[in-house]
Amino acid sequence: MALGLALVLASCGDGKSSSGGGSGGKSEIIAIAADPLDYINPLNDNGTAGIGVSMAIFAPLVTTDPDTGKLQNVMADSVTPDKNSQTWTIKLKAGNTFQNGQPLTAKDYVDSWNMTAEGSNGWKNNGFFSKVEGYDALNPPTPDGATPKPTAVKTMSGLKLIDNLTFSVKLKVPFSQFGLTLQYLGLAPLPEEVRKNPDAYKRKPIGNGPYKLDGAWNAGDDLKLAKWDGYKGPQIPEADHITYRFIPNADTAYNEFLAGNVDFTDVPSTKVKSFKTDAPDQWVTSVSSGANYLVIPAWDARFKNPKLRYAISEAIDRKAFADLVGLAEPAKGLVAPDMQGYRADACKTCDFDAGKAKQLLQEAGGFPGVLNINYNTTSATGQIFAEAIGNMLRQNLGLKVKYTGKQGSEITELADSHKLDGLRFSGWGHDYPSIEDYLTPMFKSNGDANFAHYSNPALDAVLAKGDAEPDPDKAIKLYQQAEDIALTDMPLIPLYTKSNAYLHSDKIQPRVSKYTGVSAIWSTFK
Amino acid sequence: MIRFVLRRVLAAIPIGLVVTLGVFALVFAMPGDPLRELAGDKPIPAAVLAAKRAQFHLDDPFIVQYLLSMKDILTGHFGTTFAGADIADQLRLRIPVTLKLASMSLVFQWIFGLLFGLYAGFRRNGVVDRMLLLATLVVLAVPGLVLYFTGQYLFGVELKWLPVSGVRDGWPTAYLLPALCIGISGFAGLARLTRTSIVDTTGSDFVKTARAKGLGEQRILWRHVLPNALLPVVTLMGIDLAGIFAGAVLAESIFNLPGLGQFMFQAIKLKEGGVVVLLSTLAFLMFILINLIVDVVYGAIDPRVRNV
Repeated sequence: MALGLALVLASCGDGKSSSGGGSGGKSEIIAIAADPLDYINPLNDNGTAGIGVSMAIFAPLVTTDPDTGKLQNVMADSVTPDKNSQTWTIKLKAGNTFQNGQPLTAKDYVDSWNMTAEGSNGWKNNGFFSKVEGYDALNPPTPDGATPKPTAVKTMSGLKLIDNLTFSVKLKVPFSQFGLTLQYLGLAPLPEEVRKNPDAYKRKPIGNGPYKLDGAWNAGDDLKLAKWDGYKGPQIPEADHITYRFIPNADTAYNEFLAGNVDFTDVPSTKVKSFKTDAPDQWVTSVSSGANYLVIPAWDARFKNPKLRYAISEAIDRKAFADLVGLAEPAKGLVAPDMQGYRADACKTCDFDAGKAKQLLQEAGGFPGVLNINYNTTSATGQIFAEAIGNMLRQNLGLKVKYTGKQGSEITELADSHKLDGLRFSGWGHDYPSIEDYLTPMFKSNGDANFAHYSNPALDAVLAKGDAEPDPDKAIKLYQQAEDIALTDMPLIPLYTKSNAYLHSDKIQPRVSKYTGVSAIWSTFK
Repeated sequence: MIRFVLRRVLAAIPIGLVVTLGVFALVFAMPGDPLRELAGDKPIPAAVLAAKRAQFHLDDPFIVQYLLSMKDILTGHFGTTFAGADIADQLRLRIPVTLKLASMSLVFQWIFGLLFGLYAGFRRNGVVDRMLLLATLVVLAVPGLVLYFTGQYLFGVELKWLPVSGVRDGWPTAYLLPALCIGISGFAGLARLTRTSIVDTTGSDFVKTARAKGLGEQRILWRHVLPNALLPVVTLMGIDLAGIFAGAVLAESIFNLPGLGQFMFQAIKLKEGGVVVLLSTLAFLMFILINLIVDVVYGAIDPRVRNV
C-alpha cells in the first residue's frame, strides 16, 4: 500500500508543467502574499498589492531616483510651484502614449483626477484630492445611510487645463510638499475609453508604464505582464516578462520560493528568525519606511499627565522589544529613518530607565486601576507583542495590566467613537517620501491617521508654516519643530522601526535602495 | 420512495430559511466595520465610505439586508464583493475547485477508513489492529495545520514530488497532496467506527445463530455482518461530507486553492453577510442532498427502513 502510494506520487511529479512567465527573454515570477486582485485601477486602489502591480503597468508623473534620493521626472517635463507653493503647474513630456496608442495628454490627468475626486464614485484615492480647490463641491456631506448623489459639478475648480500638455493645480492652502506627492501611483492617468466605462476595463488595464497585460487575465489567474516598448521614462526595467502569483498565505509563498517556483517573495513575520539559514545568499533587507508605536487615547483622562506618558515610554526596553519583533531597531523619533530630516535621537524620553520611569509615575500621581492593552487578533504576533509590553510595564512600573484582543477594524471603530479603553499598537508608512507625511496625518488635529485623536494648535501652526515654506531645508526645520512638540506631548510612544526582508532566486538581484526600498520589478538578471 | 424524497425536500425549505437567517444574524452580530477592515490602516474619506455603505446597503436594518441578500440569491444577481470581485465569476471559479478537492479527499478518507476499519475489525487484536489504534491516536492528536504544512514541506519543498500550492498543475496532480492531507486527518473516526461496528456485529446473537444454522462464512459476512455493521458507518460518511468542507477551509488556505472555503474565510473576515449566506445556502443544499442520498443508501442496505 505504502509503496503503491509512493509510486503514484512519484509519477505525478514527472508530469509537472513548467512554470514560467513566457518563453524566451528574461522573465521572473513574483509572489504576492495577498488575495488575488479583483481589478487593476490605481485610482481606486491603495493596497500594497494593487499599487505594487500598478507600478509595473502605470508610470507616475515623477519618481524618487533610487541612487540619489532626488525627485526625477517620469511623465512630467516640469513641476513648478508658484512663489507660495499654492498653485502648481505641471507640464508633460511630449510623445508619451497609453498602451492603446492614444497620446497621453494633460486632459487625461485632469479628467481622471476629477473622476476620482467625485465622492459618489466611491474610489479609494478620493481623499488625495481633498487639498485641491473645489474638492468640497464634488463631495457634499451626505447624511448617514443616504446614497451620495452624483453632483451637478463634475470638475474641481482648482484643476485647469492650460494646453495639450500642461495643466495646473490650485490648492486650498499652500503646500510645499505637493511636488513630492505626485509620485504616488494613485494619481495615474486613465485613457478616455477606460474613463467612459471603468468597469469594462477592470481586468484589462490600459496603462502608460513599462509593462502591459500579456494575454487575457481572468479571475483566479496569475497576472502575466510583458514589456511595453512605448514606455520612454527613466529606469527601464530589465525583465521582458513578469508573472505575479497571488498566494494569500505568506508561509505558503515562502515554501513556494524554497521549492524554486518563484523568484521573489517577502519574508513573512513567522520566518524572520530563520530566513537567513533557509535561503543563504538569497535574501536582501531594506530599512522600511514606517514607524511603529503605542497609541495613547487622548480622550482618556487617566493618561492626561505627560509625566505618565514619559513613565510608560521609559519603562519600555526598546532593544529587547525590537529583538522580539525581529529585524527591528528601537525607535527614538516619530518619522521613519529613511526620511530626509530624520533625527536619530529626536525623543528625549525614549531611553529605557526603570528607575526614572518609576519616579515619573510617582510624580504623575500613579495610574488608577488596570491598564488595558488592545491588540489585533488577526495579526499573528499581536498578542505576543501586547504581553511583552505589558510585562515591562508590570515589572518596571508595578502597574496592573490586562490584554484585550479585537479585530483591527473594531479597535479603530471604538477609537473613532472615543470608546476604546487603554493602549493600542499602530503604525504608519508614508505615501510620499517627506517627513511631513508622518506629521500631518498622525499629529495634525483631525489628521487622517491621528489615531490618538490628539490636537495641539501650536503644532498645527508650525505644520502650516512648513507647508507654506518653499525652501526645502527651511521646511524640514519647521517640520522638525512639529515633531518636537509631538514628542513633548507624546500622544504616541515610539517603539521600533522595522526592516523588511525579501528572498530572491539566483537568477535575479532585486534593486535595493536606501531611498526607495527593495524592488523586484527593477531587478538585474545574472 | 418519490414521496419520501419530496417530503424531505419540502421540509428543507423552512429549515433553510431558519439556517440562512441564523447565519446572517451571526455575521451581522460580529464586531468591526467591513469597509474599514478592507482599507487596513489607511484612512478612507467620508464620501467614499458613504458611497460604499450605500452600495452594499450596510445602513439598512438587519432584516432588510437579509431580504435583499435572499433576493439576490434567488434571482441570481450576485453582484460584487466589498473588494470588487464579481461573485458569479468567483463561484464559477471556486465551485469546481472545492468539488474536486472534497471528492478526492472523501475517496482517500473512505478508502483508508473502510479498509483499515474492516481489516482491523475482522482481525481483532492483530498487528494491523494495534497499528491502527496507534495511527488513529496520532492523527487525532496532530493539529491539521501542522499536518498540512509538514506535508507541504516534505512532498512539495524537499522531495518535489507534488506542487507546493496552487491549481496550475490541474486535476489530479494539484489536488493530490491537499486531498491526502484532509483524507488522512479525517480517516481516524471512520476507521475506528467501522472496526467497532464490525466487532460488535460479529459478536452478536444473530450472527451466532447464522453460524449455528451452518451457513457458509462468505454468506454470513456479506448477507448478515456487513449490512448491519455498515449502517452507522454510512451515517458517519454522510456527516463526514459536511466536515470535509470545514477541513477544506484550512487546506485551501495553506495549499492556495481558490475554492469555496477560502472564499468563505475572506467573506467572514470582512463581515460580508451576503456572501456568507450565499455560501451557507450552497452548503445547506449540499447537506440536504447528501442526507437524501444517505437515506436512500440506507434503504438499499436495510429493507426495514425503506418505508419509514
